[in-house]
Amino acid sequence: MSVIKLTGGRVIDPANGVNDQVRDIYVRDGRIVAAPDVHEKVSAEYNIAGRIVMSGAIDMHSHIGGGKVNIAREMLPEDHRGDPVERTELTRSSCGHAAPGTLAAGYRYAEMGYTAAFEPALLPMNARQAHMEMGDTPMLDTGGYAMLGSDDLLLRMLVANEDQQTINDYVAWTLNATQTVGIKVVNPGAISAFKFNQRKLDLDEQNAYYGVTPRRIIQALSRAVHELGVPKPLHVHASNLGVPGNVDTTLGTMDAAEGLPIHLTHIQFHSYGTEGERRFSSAASRIAEAINRQKNVTADVGQILFGQTVTASGDNMVQYRNADHGSPKKSVIMDIECDAGCGVVPFRYKDQNFVNALQWAIGLEIFLMVDDPWRIFLTTDHPNGAPFTTYPHLIKLLTDRSFRNAMLDTINPDARAMSALGSLDREYSLYEIAIMTRAAPAKLIGLADRGHLAPGAAADIVVYREDADRERMFEKPELVFKDGELVVRDGRIVKVVRGNTHVVKPEFDIGIEKKIRPYFERFHSVRMSNFKIGDDELCECGGGSKLIAHACRKRG
Amino acid sequence: MSALLFTLRSAPAQRVDVGMLNPSALAGQPLADIAAISLHVGKRVLRVDELFELSGDDTADLVFRGDCSKLERIGAGMKAGRVTVEGDAGAYVGQGLLGGTISVTGNAGAFCATGMKGGRIEIAGDVGESAGGAIPGEMKGMAGGLLLVGGNAGDRLGDRMRRGQILVSGNAGDYCGTRMIAGTIAVAGSLGAYPGYGMKRGTLIVDAVPARMLPGFVDCGAHRLGFLSLLYASWKGLPGVFGRLDASACTVRRYMGDMGVTGRGELLVRG
Repeated sequence: MSVIKLTGGRVIDPANGVNDQVRDIYVRDGRIVAAPDVHEKVSAEYNIAGRIVMSGAIDMHSHIGGGKVNIAREMLPEDHRGDPVERTELTRSSCGHAAPGTLAAGYRYAEMGYTAAFEPALLPMNARQAHMEMGDTPMLDTGGYAMLGSDDLLLRMLVANEDQQTINDYVAWTLNATQTVGIKVVNPGAISAFKFNQRKLDLDEQNAYYGVTPRRIIQALSRAVHELGVPKPLHVHASNLGVPGNVDTTLGTMDAAEGLPIHLTHIQFHSYGTEGERRFSSAASRIAEAINRQKNVTADVGQILFGQTVTASGDNMVQYRNADHGSPKKSVIMDIECDAGCGVVPFRYKDQNFVNALQWAIGLEIFLMVDDPWRIFLTTDHPNGAPFTTYPHLIKLLTDRSFRNAMLDTINPDARAMSALGSLDREYSLYEIAIMTRAAPAKLIGLADRGHLAPGAAADIVVYREDADRERMFEKPELVFKDGELVVRDGRIVKVVRGNTHVVKPEFDIGIEKKIRPYFERFHSVRMSNFKIGDDELCECGGGSKLIAHACRKRG
Repeated sequence: MSALLFTLRSAPAQRVDVGMLNPSALAGQPLADIAAISLHVGKRVLRVDELFELSGDDTADLVFRGDCSKLERIGAGMKAGRVTVEGDAGAYVGQGLLGGTISVTGNAGAFCATGMKGGRIEIAGDVGESAGGAIPGEMKGMAGGLLLVGGNAGDRLGDRMRRGQILVSGNAGDYCGTRMIAGTIAVAGSLGAYPGYGMKRGTLIVDAVPARMLPGFVDCGAHRLGFLSLLYASWKGLPGVFGRLDASACTVRRYMGDMGVTGRGELLVRG
């Protein structure tokens, strides 16, 4: 058995309370171990004295697979032509800036020290396709959050006032059938309402056909996820995304969980007020105050950064409204099998545009005003706010106040005048960055063996050269290990590996299939047995990736 | 100073992107640097001087010689200067051209002048399909400048064209001016099926009523259009039939279409 030793690094491991302590790390068979046995030889030693060591970074919300990502790719050949990635001896050719191909996505993530990314809007009907794309993404562990909430079957159950147990069984069945690690709800019930000609759906507004409110959907799903013991709280893309004044809806959505764990995603897009001449203002302080007060609430920011990108969302109601603002002006707004929808609109965020500039500031305000880095996550909602390749830049904005203020001075002056950003002195420490990009996402999703460096953890390890310029530091780690193998050296891939797929398999009453099977036979385009993805099939379509099932502890 | 001559040592078996060998990109570069530029030929990477024999020194006046039918993106994106191809050229001649002149003495491949915004392209022979058209995914085809075709044009001439002029002395293929947004296309010979399919605005000028017209084009009668005399006068002296038009002969039969879209495009049949 071979043992790898990383000698003398400055370890930052918030999950175990380790902040910048010089420690040696030993790795055997892809796992971190306390020390080798007496008779064991160290087969490879890396002297990393003075370097910063963290576990592999985890992107808990990044659109890297599934229907809408592929639509974005198909729709933006110019994005691919404009950003070719040449093949090397090790890596294959790929392309794409905003909607990169699977290969470019995997390589780029790994080169930045990311070892896992989670697709947050995996439509059950598209699960197979999404898993195949994620399986085709090298270097990374992946997983998905299955999207429920606008699907006909759940809405029928809510109309019929089915008991919570039945809903729990349906949710658990969905998690098992789609091989996912969490549940997401996108603009609850509104993707369905859009088809009944509703163009807006507030938290307590009824779907015109089913009569179900978004609040009811959030209640049912957050309770189901909680009672099933799924570690990942319900992932909520709240109502009224992007609408000025949506802060009240967002705060109401937090309350709708009734104290149960709830995760609000890309909350920047949901933190808008209606003050000022243009009736668009920052409500970051109200949102941050609510998060600080309500310990059941977590959020990722969905920071926007200026430049060309593409917005890809399940929220066809919002995307239909945004289609006219697309740049280049093209869009796809579609229904998917009557169970959900999708909208893809290319977008260019401009720093001299009042709204875009204020969005940029609002995201940063939320980062800086939320006190607990364990409950706020570093995302750009890739690619909706910006491609994930901007993370090192975003880290610099958070860790370097003078850089942030210098950037603030260059944006639209009216937006600058309306933002409190200039008065926020906070600078994130490396320890806090390690929390929000590693320890906290692993804890949130329930990845017991990721996001930390204690013995027993998977050896996803990143070694950075300390650099006062945090952007430079985080865009090019010196060494990246994936499951104990050295995969990146000096920001370049040195070995191509396959990641694992993370899932949860909560228990449920198989009797629920008596309800689901006839529904599939009557209404769906596939049979129920074909809809379900088996373990072997998942590993096969992942090109031999390993399945890691995380524990669920049933509650209630 | 004499024209910088790129003579192919042998015709490449695979397509080669030579877009970077244009006067704007090469301006001020010493010959040794130009010779060292790498080109992708299939999976091989060759130096310019491995593929071409170089002579001459004027980077503002380039000449390609030999069987250039596999050379693609000739003169792409150049701002000024002159590029001449002696013989046939491959696809994407003058892609995104901003200024200057490209002339091809033989035929040119598909997507000639796609995304062109200014300058002039003269093709003595035929052009392939989608000349002045949009490559897949682009919202606009040609957006300015002048494309002169001595021979015939392929299908979808000026697809999604936004601005500029295309003059074809021979025939044009099917779907000429399809999805056109604006601009002018004149064809001296015959048109293939369904010209102006999905046309929003813009002008097609032809010599005879096309044999297969779309039902979305409506006959609006004979008109004497003053602007035509100005247009013809502006073409005076151009190579091909359009340089010799009688500027006073500006009575046309006007068809408007495609009514399936906005119906503000026009097809003018010269009397």
